Amino acid sequence: MAESQQLVLQHNIEQFIYAEVRMLDEHRWHDWQSLFTEEGLYWAPASQDQPDPYEHVSLIFEDQLLRKVRCERFNHPNAISLQPFPRTSHLVSNVMIDDLDGGNQINVNARFQMHEFRRDQPAVFAGSYDYELVKNNDSYLIQQKKATLVNCEGDLVSSNVYF
Amino acid sequence: MSATAKTDASLNVDHLVQEDKVHKSIYTDPAIFDLEMERIWGQSWIYVGHESQVKEPGQYYATTIGSQPVLLTRHKDGNFHVLFNRCAHKGAQLVGDSSGKVKDLRCGYHAWRFDMDGKCIAIPLAQGYDDTGFSKDDECANIQKLPRYDSYRGFVFASLSAEGPDLVTWLDGVASSIDNMVDRAPEGELEITGGVLRYEHDSNWKFFLENLNDMMHPMIVHQSSSLTARKVAKREFGEGEKTPSAIEIIGPFSEGYDFCNVVGLHAFPHGHGYSGGKTSIHANYSDIEEYNEAMHAAYGKERTDEIFTVNRHNTVCYPSMTLKGAIQTMRVVKPISVNKTVIESWTFRLKGAPDELLKRSILYCNLINSSANLVGPDDQEVYGRQQSGLQAQGNDWMPLSRDLGRDEDMGDGYLYAQGSSDLAFRNQLAAWKNYMGEED
Repeated sequence: MAESQQLVLQHNIEQFIYAEVRMLDEHRWHDWQSLFTEEGLYWAPASQDQPDPYEHVSLIFEDQLLRKVRCERFNHPNAISLQPFPRTSHLVSNVMIDDLDGGNQINVNARFQMHEFRRDQPAVFAGSYDYELVKNNDSYLIQQKKATLVNCEGDLVSSNVYF
Repeated sequence: MSATAKTDASLNVDHLVQEDKVHKSIYTDPAIFDLEMERIWGQSWIYVGHESQVKEPGQYYATTIGSQPVLLTRHKDGNFHVLFNRCAHKGAQLVGDSSGKVKDLRCGYHAWRFDMDGKCIAIPLAQGYDDTGFSKDDECANIQKLPRYDSYRGFVFASLSAEGPDLVTWLDGVASSIDNMVDRAPEGELEITGGVLRYEHDSNWKFFLENLNDMMHPMIVHQSSSLTARKVAKREFGEGEKTPSAIEIIGPFSEGYDFCNVVGLHAFPHGHGYSGGKTSIHANYSDIEEYNEAMHAAYGKERTDEIFTVNRHNTVCYPSMTLKGAIQTMRVVKPISVNKTVIESWTFRLKGAPDELLKRSILYCNLINSSANLVGPDDQEVYGRQQSGLQAQGNDWMPLSRDLGRDEDMGDGYLYAQGSSDLAFRNQLAAWKNYMGEED
């Protein structure tokens, strides 16, 4: 791939990821859900080298159905742990394209920090993102987003929103 | 005493729990927390780990009993031990990781080495101790064992006290919940697997235990997740169409008061108890045909039906461990301070059962027990609100009187009540009072 094409691709991928986490920070849940393929998965493992989400517990492992449930619950008047609703700021950096298999899928790794503020409680979550993206017209769709917290095996406080 | 005054721990605390009410200070006073570490967590049998975590000689699992760091180990003779995680020399903790396998326990400070039963086997330049009155063969050169430890069907408990009832006697009433979980394995054995979730709660440890069999809370606290799951499922799936396991798991959390009363509460000595029995919110999960066949092959149909008829919700082995036999999960209570508790969630593989069973247990833990799920944060939110709300003055007491005097006496200290009763709270707090009472 020519250098100029690589730069454009890098730029496009970064913009896609920035837009994705911005939707989370701006509570645009419907838009965010539409970034996933129908079979797309969101996964926050509970162990650094967790081989799979089926025979090992995870902090979050959600398909489209469960994302719908979580996002619709955000609007439920009696969701007590969401009163007040947490405010977040996702920062993404170190975005690197790991693998272009020459086909439709692009694997991307990045580092993230999510600062959360709710009532009088600030919290910080940090770790790595692994995206499996597929081309979709001029943009991408998420086949899988894996958010691995640096302290995913540690004692963790409640969090309701996606890392 | 003003509402915010500390209770003097040297005072008798008996009066803080009465038949029909509890004083708020037992949840908020650091001095009472310290006394609990001594009198409850320092006396009772406390869950340590599962034998399947130390299957092979040399394996260890590092954990805590109250404030005490301990090690569960497997010795070369096949026996397990529960040792204080403290070098006999200068007191350093012996292992860095929470689990592992070693040839022997070698302290990282001065390389004293110990067998997995705690026996000191080597000290560098040991001749330096010749004729000094200290020898590696002295009892005090060994890693110290806990006064008592024992296993019930693979579940290892230990006690910091040499006195007290033996483990089986102490488990009276809830041993049957452990039995039922083990019996659900076609090969009659459990294996802990699938990692652990550690959830930090900004609240007193007793709020978690009381909530487990508080049957009046799910339809309120879990309304948002359960009703949303039902609504989404109704929209996404046709009438009578099978819904995924996730919906089967979250959906029943908002069952109403009638269901809660049918579920019922069972209370036993030492603060133990369970809700459910013949039915629970876990009763209507879809059958896994291959599993039923494995159970029939192992036990025959009649015995299998008998095992499956027992369908309990939460079993509390007060104060440290809680079980869900029907879904093979366990939660372990780790009190950190008066207003901080860590709850660990573990899952079990039923030996001889198809992988689908473990996958369902894992799914359950993800959906209900993880710190980032749709159900647990609502529970933790109410405990946190209790913890901060009880700082408020106005009334130092909380009532425990729902259905007081209406328990059904089943004999031998076994009480039964409908699910909406305060029986589970009264029973746990009676045990609290019993442990915390001044020694004669």
